[in-house]
Amino acid sequence: MSTLTPVTFEEGPEAPPGGARRKKVTAGGAPQWRYTLIVLIIVIVLLIPVFVTVVLAFRPQIQSTSHSYFTFQNFSYVFAQTQVLTWLRNSLVVTLATVLVAVLVAAPAGYVLSRGRSKAVSGYALLLFIAQSFPQIVSVIPLFVLFAKFNLDDNLIGLAIVYVSSTISVATWMMAAYFDTIPVALEEAAWIDGCSLFKGFVRIVLRNSLPGVLSAAIFAFLLAWSDFLIAVVFLRSDTNFTLPIGLQTFFSTNSTEWGYVMAVSVVVMVPPIIVFSFLNRYFSIGGIGGALAGR
Amino acid sequence: MASTKTGPSNVLTGLARARKGVGLGGRSEHKPRPPRRYSNRVITLTLLVFPSVFLVVLIYGYPAVGAVIQSLHNGNLVQTGPYVALQNYWTDFHNPVFWHAVRFTVVYCVVGVFGSWVVGLGLALLLRKRMHARSFFKTLLLLPWVVPVVVTATGWNYLVATPSSPVPRIAQDLGFGQLLFLDSPGLAEFIVCVYKIWLSFPFMMLMTSAALAGVEEHLYEAARVDGAGAWQLFRRITLPLIARSTYISWILMFIFCIGDFQSIYLLTGGGPVSSTNTLVVLSYQTVFGDFQTGPGVAIGIIMLLVSVLVSIVLFRRIKKVAIS
Repeated sequence: MSTLTPVTFEEGPEAPPGGARRKKVTAGGAPQWRYTLIVLIIVIVLLIPVFVTVVLAFRPQIQSTSHSYFTFQNFSYVFAQTQVLTWLRNSLVVTLATVLVAVLVAAPAGYVLSRGRSKAVSGYALLLFIAQSFPQIVSVIPLFVLFAKFNLDDNLIGLAIVYVSSTISVATWMMAAYFDTIPVALEEAAWIDGCSLFKGFVRIVLRNSLPGVLSAAIFAFLLAWSDFLIAVVFLRSDTNFTLPIGLQTFFSTNSTEWGYVMAVSVVVMVPPIIVFSFLNRYFSIGGIGGALAGR
Repeated sequence: MASTKTGPSNVLTGLARARKGVGLGGRSEHKPRPPRRYSNRVITLTLLVFPSVFLVVLIYGYPAVGAVIQSLHNGNLVQTGPYVALQNYWTDFHNPVFWHAVRFTVVYCVVGVFGSWVVGLGLALLLRKRMHARSFFKTLLLLPWVVPVVVTATGWNYLVATPSSPVPRIAQDLGFGQLLFLDSPGLAEFIVCVYKIWLSFPFMMLMTSAALAGVEEHLYEAARVDGAGAWQLFRRITLPLIARSTYISWILMFIFCIGDFQSIYLLTGGGPVSSTNTLVVLSYQTVFGDFQTGPGVAIGIIMLLVSVLVSIVLFRRIKKVAIS
């Protein structure tokens, strides 16, 4: 029951100094400027495409009269003159709905994958693996036809349903990987005390799995927030656009106005960066190997 | 990665752990049964797993059947149209663009998987060194993966697409002449592959550093005492110890690459002259660009068959790797 506190599995400076970490440190404990410098250069080079986006978003348009190097003009234009705020709201709604439902569906599924031992569970693990390798392009057209019958095309609910199902495999593996680290003995003790299987799952396993749940939630967030294929096929009216689709329309009509394009780009990338920088330490993807393999 | 906490026992199943009696020493013979009757347990587990099975069948099973039907008819997005048997497949197989897409799909997957693995592994190893602000750097290095593809494709487009973009200008100043990165087929293929590596290395870095965290330092110390060099340490200790995780990350990345639509579509749209079409992009272009639903869906079905067959084979292999 001690796993309530966030557990980071990867080594990193956020782990307390000394203790288990000290063993991994190579000879000489002090941080070295040499390596810091090398990594700093690599990071700067690799992130040029991201920096460029941010810089251009804050730079005045070429024809602008202002002589400064910094302006909020691009942002005030896209927020006032275009539907970016509507798209932002749509993206947030779809993404949050996806995250919520994905966790609700994947947590019990992950529990079965982690604890169940039978042919049926192995079959289910295979089903998840096939679903993950299923090319979305195949399903998107028949789904569009099906959803159109229920008025779920050009609809944010329809979009969220598809997103949930496309996150389900990885989210379930992440949950199962975390549940694997929680001793079965804890549940067994509860069963002896007359706890039902479901209660054991919710009160003992799920309650102690915050990092696992957050990992799956972050993954679902990233996927739903950045999806382009499903949204471009499903969404028709611009009041229903999500941000990635909105950004794209911007591109075709204003291809030379890089300032506006980049301003919208910044709006698109800020939420995932915020989510990730706050919750990064909970995010662990390495475990899904074990969840995949152990069945 | 989970295994760092529990060591090798992470791959043991819950049942195996129960048999060992973790936390309840001496319980190895009598595994406490879940409450009430056995069937009750099965019913609960079935109910727990039902929503996800329902979704998978609805979102993957149903469309798969629908797509097979579409691929056998000469219809459009709304109507099924007349039955034409395998004619759509025949059309694809006689289309040189299709075979080019097959070739580029293979190149794209191979470069995407191994290129991003090499970069990710290199960075993961580098980040193990003592340095300042390591976790800050680590988070920054995840940005290519965290920032949505629509944004990074825009950034890359700005950098390389037109003759007045920064990278072509620099190339010209360096004496390479005027390079049109996204207008000549060979260069466009190259840029798309580099972009894919750039997008994917953070995932590989995450997987690899999780695996590396489980490699114990005293193994290196022992080898160093025996006079092993850096390359030998890497080749004989690091690689074998992360082999299982590496294999799994290759498989996952292969699956991500083969189904990848947006990174190519948003960077080049499959052009110039279809040179950067993978099968997924070609399928989309055929359906939504050329309005040839039948042949376009048929390409998807071919991909589906290959992906599912490959994934079943790989799934079996993962199990074997896990046991060994």
